[in-house]
Amino acid sequence: MHSFGYRANALLTFSLTILALMCAMASVSDNLNSQSPTATVQVLNVNRFQKKSNGDDEVGITLDISADLQSLFTWNTKQVFVFLAAEYSTPKNSLNQVSLWDGIIPAKEDAKFSIKTKNKYRFIDQGSNLRGRDFNLSLHWHVMPKTGKMFADKLVLSGYRLPESYR
Amino acid sequence: MSWILSYVLSSFLDGCLNDMHFWCLFVLSCDRFVLLRKTNLPLRMDWEGQKLAEQWMQIMLVVFAIGAFITGFFISSFSLMVYIYGGSVILTGLLTIPNWPIFNRHPLKWLDPSEAEKHPKPQLTTSSVSKKKPTKK
Repeated sequence: MHSFGYRANALLTFSLTILALMCAMASVSDNLNSQSPTATVQVLNVNRFQKKSNGDDEVGITLDISADLQSLFTWNTKQVFVFLAAEYSTPKNSLNQVSLWDGIIPAKEDAKFSIKTKNKYRFIDQGSNLRGRDFNLSLHWHVMPKTGKMFADKLVLSGYRLPESYR
Repeated sequence: MSWILSYVLSSFLDGCLNDMHFWCLFVLSCDRFVLLRKTNLPLRMDWEGQKLAEQWMQIMLVVFAIGAFITGFFISSFSLMVYIYGGSVILTGLLTIPNWPIFNRHPLKWLDPSEAEKHPKPQLTTSSVSKKKPTKK
């Protein structure tokens, strides 16, 4: 500690080490948060249900998504990435997951929302197995932190069924 | 306020003096340095002062970090925590880096020049100390 530069260097490195420890503690404190999100999704309308020229089924639907994800936000949350996926099984694949819609929630105030939207991404099957198919809609969320570990979880809503014939 | 600036500047330059000797020529022509010479402010830290400065730095940083974390956690503001901590780092730097007089309470006692002349430095003997390895033939 015998010269200006030596002390400045010691101060800088020690302060940055302590900052790293503070960020780790902030990430650990996220585990104290108890999460209680709720969500409901309604299929308002099946707009389009056709077999494409290459033999795959395609569905166009309008969804009414309402959710309350405010309890996911902590002081260490930068944003929450949320997406809705349709899950079903076919004889060819035991599990198919197709992402229909996603969004980014930047702040706690925007986390309670209700939107009516068409599916943002195309709902296309591998084959033509969708007629009369039962499927689940699962709402996934990724809580992205400012520092540290990211938490991901989902909520599965079941009981949806596609029409028996093409429209 | 200007004497604080000149003090910090001089302690910075004092640190540089250990490494870069051309600085002292530039500094001697600067009237801020002359002002310090006139007021006889100390430019160095002693050993006790260095230990004290290091202790202050470590304790201050840890205490402020804990305080900043608790404040940020209970107000739910990550950015507030970082701002408080950043301010505390600057404050700690201002208190521990320059050569404040507190750090010079046990100054080193150098020998008087007349006393030093009575004890001349030992001369290096210029005997050839080269070792010749035995050459194998």
